[in-house]
Amino acid sequence: MNASKIVKDTHTPLKKFAYATTVTCSTQASTYGKCIAANYTDVRKDMCKDEFAKFAECLRTTVS
Amino acid sequence: MSLSRLARISPLTRRFASHSASSPPPSFNTVGPYQVFDRNAKRMQKERAALRNGGEQSRLVDYVRDEVADRMMERFLDIKRNFNTIIDLGSGPGHFSKLLEPDKAKKSIMIDSSPATLHRDPADEFEVEIERLGGDEENLLQMIPPDSQEAVVSCLSLHWVNDLPGALVQIKEALQPDGLFLGAMFGGDTLFELRTALQLAEVEREGGISPHISPMTDTRDVSNLLGRAGFTLLTVDIDEVKVGYPSIWELMEDLGHMGERNAVVGRRPLIHRDTLAAAAAIYKELHGNEDGTIPATFQIIYMIGWKPAPSQPKPLDRGTGKVNLKDVLD
Repeated sequence: MNASKIVKDTHTPLKKFAYATTVTCSTQASTYGKCIAANYTDVRKDMCKDEFAKFAECLRTTVS
Repeated sequence: MSLSRLARISPLTRRFASHSASSPPPSFNTVGPYQVFDRNAKRMQKERAALRNGGEQSRLVDYVRDEVADRMMERFLDIKRNFNTIIDLGSGPGHFSKLLEPDKAKKSIMIDSSPATLHRDPADEFEVEIERLGGDEENLLQMIPPDSQEAVVSCLSLHWVNDLPGALVQIKEALQPDGLFLGAMFGGDTLFELRTALQLAEVEREGGISPHISPMTDTRDVSNLLGRAGFTLLTVDIDEVKVGYPSIWELMEDLGHMGERNAVVGRRPLIHRDTLAAAAAIYKELHGNEDGTIPATFQIIYMIGWKPAPSQPKPLDRGTGKVNLKDVLD
């Protein structure tokens, strides 16, 4: 079973944000995700702070 | 500290102790089941989901329930018995009852706590006679007299019941001797990907976790629960439905439209944006498929139990065997 493909529906702020996290900033998201996945059995607060900062920066510039 | 002063303080502290404003606070003076789910919030979520776009939005996300109802019907058809009336407990809009054929069951009584969900689909979509009864699954015996039913089925609603042992006892009580209970519920590893992604994101971003996915009934516990409720001739099996989604956002949106939003008592009303973005990234890296989609696992526990009756086959007493196993095996 597969739900429908990602549609570029940017009507609501949440949809816009969702699009940014999955499509526009996918590279930064992947870097952050890999950082967590590399050490997911021992996650601490701010373990991947730098990776997330880049991801968040991309989101901020895309959404605003 | 005097007693009167204590009495003055305690109501205040109780107020801080209560988890949710929308459900009645747990009573500290009576012995009762522990409240895990906010039943009132759950009913409201289902109402809202079923009313959106005149029910269209809710019909779009029927895919999981329809699939499970279909698999449950296979088990129902394996039972070589025909019924006059069955009870569909926690029926939703009638995913299971819609599949009933008149020669197998003549009438279905659908019970659900959310009226909008219960009345979402018109009667002409059913092949058998139906009756819709609004009421709480946790209080079955208030609607149905004991020893009155031939069969009770429940398709994907028991995972929101606080007192599962109590609900099963009520189902057994409502059944006639030799009556059938057939149920399907989410349990085990259901939505473990979403659970872990949110937990990892919360720990890394905020330094703590809070409940976002319900605690699930373990598969191993279900046969114990059925046995404890007094059912015999138990059959329990598990099955998985895996659904692919483009991303965590579509998954969470669909869960909302299904009326399956978080209803754990003491839940946080919202998740921080950063945490959600982090969870989206983690979900994809940790669990994602090769084609870029993400999987969501729904694990379903099917259970069959019968109310005891003298006519049922029973195991022989110990030591009554006439054939020596050694002779058979040699």
